[in-house]
Amino acid sequence: MIKKILLVDDSPISRRIMKSCIPKDRDYELFEAGDGLAGFETYKEIRPDVTFMDLTMPIMDGSESTAKIREFNPEAVVIVCTADIQIKSITNVLELGAFMVMKKPPSKETVEDALLKAEEHIG
Amino acid sequence: MDYCLDIISDEEKEILQEIMNIAFGKAAADLAEVINIFVVLSVPKIEILNSQDLPSYLKTEVSEYERVSIVEQNFWGDFKGSAFLVFQASAGRELVSLFGDNSDDFGSESIEALEKETLMEVGNILIGACVGKLSELLGDAVTYSPPRVVTENTHNDAIPANIFESGSSAIVLKTVFCFNERNVNGFLFLVTSNDSILWLKKSLVTFMEQYE
Repeated sequence: MIKKILLVDDSPISRRIMKSCIPKDRDYELFEAGDGLAGFETYKEIRPDVTFMDLTMPIMDGSESTAKIREFNPEAVVIVCTADIQIKSITNVLELGAFMVMKKPPSKETVEDALLKAEEHIG
Repeated sequence: MDYCLDIISDEEKEILQEIMNIAFGKAAADLAEVINIFVVLSVPKIEILNSQDLPSYLKTEVSEYERVSIVEQNFWGDFKGSAFLVFQASAGRELVSLFGDNSDDFGSESIEALEKETLMEVGNILIGACVGKLSELLGDAVTYSPPRVVTENTHNDAIPANIFESGSSAIVLKTVFCFNERNVNGFLFLVTSNDSILWLKKSLVTFMEQYE
């Protein structure tokens, strides 16, 4: 069951958009980080059930952060939400262990669908 | 004069930055579908300037390139302005081979003409997809002038000096990119003037309203 969700994105607007798309009636506990490194540190600290991860970020990009999180916890569910929708970028993060990739901007439907899939996966 | 700094708020800049990020991501994916290339993206930047400072700003931004090739395209809609895709001058040569296996494929055309056509094609895809997606996200549709390529100028000469009337302000959306396999990097600047600012502010509010 999903309780904690971590949002990793350097854009506060993008995090706000993502928060607005997450269903309000399920009492998820939301956490935020502004770059890939902070995302990895926050992940280790709070151990979220699901992490939404941007790719193009300063300090540490989302690909590296995803790899580090998956190295730390091979069961981690990282959903990449990105504007970089090149096939090579998507293939790369899936190979690094991302659970799935969503294109920006997200919608309530795509986020709900992703959370349902993650819920099924977590069991 | 600082008035132009207040034209759009910090929050509006952040929204515009995110929309530019999405738009250029779409443009990169469109280009990668047409030619075998991977575009390394960076976080876009938004700058507000007096239009009289625009030429010197653009020249400073591209000053790392001794010689430049620029694809310039104007666009019209509620969102109106000019796009400048700036490469170092050697980029055309690097990119030509992406459109064919060798120079024999291009018949009798000169290498300069091929480089120009290649830059025009790459520019047309990147600018068209980026401006098109940006306009779509903000509820507009734009038309474009044909792209124009200025090559082999020094950066001091390449940027037009009078893009907008003096005394007006300009919003510059800048993104830096790199074509990984070809060692080619460049900048895309979208420059919009006073005429679009009121529309832009309203559209940014409307864009965010769907996420309230």
